[in-house]
Amino acid sequence: MNTVLDKFAQAAQRPYEHVKAWKQERGVKAVGTLPMHFPAEIIHATGALPVIVQEMPDAITSGGGAMYPFFCGYTRSIVDQVTEDQLGFLDAIMFTDHCVQLLSAADVIRISRPETTIHFHQLIASLRQPWSLESSVKTLRELVADLEEVLGVVVTEEALRHSISVFNENRRLIRDLYQMRRTGQIQLRASQMQHIVKSSMVMDKETHNALLRELIASLKTSTAPRSDTVAIYVSGHLCHAPRPEILDLIEECGATIVDDDLYTGYRYVSTDVDAGIGDPIVALATAYIRKNDNVPCPTRIDPEVDWEEWLLGAVDRCGAQGLVVLLVKFCEPHYFAYPRIKAAFERNDVPHLMIETEHDGVAMENVRTKVESFVEMIKVQRAARAVAA
Amino acid sequence: MSAIITPEQRILGAEPPIAKKANRLQATKLNNQMVNAYWEDLFRAKEEGRLVCWTEGIQLNPILQAADIAWCHGEAAAALLAARKESAAPQAHMETLGYDRELCSYARTHIGCGVMNQSSTVEAQTLLNVDARTLGSRIPAPDMIISAYPFCSTGQQWDNELYRTFGKKVPIFNISMDWVWGNKSSAKYMSGPEFREKVAFLKKQLQDCVRFIEGITGKPYDWDRLSEIMKYTKRAAELRLEAMRLCKARPSPASFFEWTNSIAPVNFLPGGPEIVHYFEQKKAEIESRIAQGIGSVPVEKYRLWWDGIMNWNKIGWLSDKFAGYDACMVAGRYTHMGFWQEPQVIDLRDPLDGMAQNYITCPISISAPQVIEKIIEHCEYYEIDGLILHGARTCRAFSYPQYMIADAVGKRLGLPVAMFEGDMVDETFYKDEVVSSRVEAMLEAIDASRARMR
Ligand code: SF4
Ligand code: SF4
Repeated sequence: MNTVLDKFAQAAQRPYEHVKAWKQERGVKAVGTLPMHFPAEIIHATGALPVIVQEMPDAITSGGGAMYPFFCGYTRSIVDQVTEDQLGFLDAIMFTDHCVQLLSAADVIRISRPETTIHFHQLIASLRQPWSLESSVKTLRELVADLEEVLGVVVTEEALRHSISVFNENRRLIRDLYQMRRTGQIQLRASQMQHIVKSSMVMDKETHNALLRELIASLKTSTAPRSDTVAIYVSGHLCHAPRPEILDLIEECGATIVDDDLYTGYRYVSTDVDAGIGDPIVALATAYIRKNDNVPCPTRIDPEVDWEEWLLGAVDRCGAQGLVVLLVKFCEPHYFAYPRIKAAFERNDVPHLMIETEHDGVAMENVRTKVESFVEMIKVQRAARAVAA
Repeated sequence: MSAIITPEQRILGAEPPIAKKANRLQATKLNNQMVNAYWEDLFRAKEEGRLVCWTEGIQLNPILQAADIAWCHGEAAAALLAARKESAAPQAHMETLGYDRELCSYARTHIGCGVMNQSSTVEAQTLLNVDARTLGSRIPAPDMIISAYPFCSTGQQWDNELYRTFGKKVPIFNISMDWVWGNKSSAKYMSGPEFREKVAFLKKQLQDCVRFIEGITGKPYDWDRLSEIMKYTKRAAELRLEAMRLCKARPSPASFFEWTNSIAPVNFLPGGPEIVHYFEQKKAEIESRIAQGIGSVPVEKYRLWWDGIMNWNKIGWLSDKFAGYDACMVAGRYTHMGFWQEPQVIDLRDPLDGMAQNYITCPISISAPQVIEKIIEHCEYYEIDGLILHGARTCRAFSYPQYMIADAVGKRLGLPVAMFEGDMVDETFYKDEVVSSRVEAMLEAIDASRARMR
């Protein structure tokens, strides 16, 4: 088991080394994508390796002279990676998401390194318009045509269908792990789950699926009740992974993270593409629109779904006793959504704690103190309830 | 007497000596009257039984005016509150609710007005310390929201937040404005298949928006009236551009600050003969100044470009500050590249297409390579000596290309820049000592380069 987890950890910790080695070994192209809604099945169907460009923990150096410091850590990091010539191994970068900071970073990348092929096919962010699906289908067809031209390949429907089934399997296997973790059948730390998801973002999916199957077969399941730690749900952290140290720290303070809606987490695997829809592009577009029902995204406009209400339900369903919101500094979509989450949790008397993370570092000792008192507070409440009962 | 402050004065924390005052245009007074009349009219809208629409971003007002709907443009409301020193109250309410101050300050201020509207009972006002007479609380609550924001997702999310602030009870129409990124080399400023496609998509949504409006008013839309309104808007926009182009003269008869004070007629005031008259007056005054050799600043030693959104709390103060430096802020991205900036494409028989073209080429909706080309054209035309890059901290849409702009004008035109952070309506981000030292360093660089040329 450990060797499989180690493989995930290695790919997650050194994602670009992994991609470069894969390219060399297989002689394939690698296409970078930007988060959070890019349908990477399309790249997979071209035969190239889709790679979600990751935030790297390195300090911002030359990128600091290309982007103001009041942008989110993800966008500052990817600009820095480009100005530091770290992404040259990607044959192209493609993106579909509408976030002002992401668009800004992409524009900076294009100007800083004009030799980079970086293309944008804007997926409609407003999900409930009568034309949302039609517009998404059109965008994805244009994306396919563009990729065919950039990579000099032809994408067949058959290849798309195959890629969809490979990706669906990957999502399903990771969701199975989530489910086993939720019910306490397996004990994977949150940072280990992060390695699993993050490695899926940069590894060949078939290889990842094989490793996942191996992992699941080797995991010891237990029916014993969960230990006496406080069960916590972790939410937020859009576009990139929180530093694993933060997740470890939460779990060192007497809590167990039992579920999450993190982008480098459950959000990434929440929604399958319906293989029953005849036209694979329509299937991908439908999944894009439907995804918001499964895990609401604050970068999308959807009057019918409330993230805060959904979160209350999610916390309840997994038996968590509290919510920790990980909020990326300067992330405006999350800034807009957070006050409603806070109000809803206060209204419903469900404990919650917000931790703001920064690319340049988080004062871990402060976070520890906060989490410790949060966990303590939940324990006291729990004890009081037990007495009352 | 030089207005440049010494390092000693800065250390002592002295205010920069404002030795000279900017020479303001008389016509601007007319703008202020029209603006006041517009707001008073909006404050009365509900009493007069008119529907009110809240909107941000692009200038949808002609579309609403043709349907007899009163409108509140979010940025205009936030800028007004800032200019009248009343933005702190809605911003404070938002902070109490947990909205981070790094979030777009226009949005925070405007949603704060929404919150104030929600809590207009006496009890709530006492609790929230809301003064019912503040401008924010006088803005009538919306009967509909139309969201149409170019490029910036924050704009779209701002509308979404308003929708939720009013309990999802106010109907909202979401228009998606695609960014013309330029995947193909055929994509050019206002031309190429990608541009035409995006314009067509936007035009179709505008037509659907008109149907949404008809659904609310219960009346057929008056397309002739839209053409009539656009006739005035187009003429006003043409006159504004002509008058701005006249400022190539030395000394420049008007400054960027004057143009920021003339945004309202091409941003949110009703389209009618008044706005045309206004720009006729303004242009005439500019022509007369040119004939007499009168400049916008008493001494014009430096001609500058202002890049970035305006700092609304400080327009008058900044225009005097730069006059004190013998510097005329001749032009800027905010004023010279936006607000019906391409009126010639508006066909009055079918105005929506041309309107869509203007909406999609506003200075935050065109991508950085095109922004840079346009800025270079302007800098050459107005014979600019240096650039002020005001990085509005909470408007990332405007700020993000500024390092690239600085680099390009430096390399291609050899112009120095002064970059500093500030904000459009949150005063707390503006640090005058930093601004002074950066501007002075830039002016010294201009002097040094002139000395080398001699
Ligand atoms: S959604 Fe948030 S984290 Fe992602 S690019 Fe936008 S601001 Fe950054
Ligand atoms: S950040 Fe700037 S462009 Fe975006 S909504 Fe706010 S003011 Fe508008």
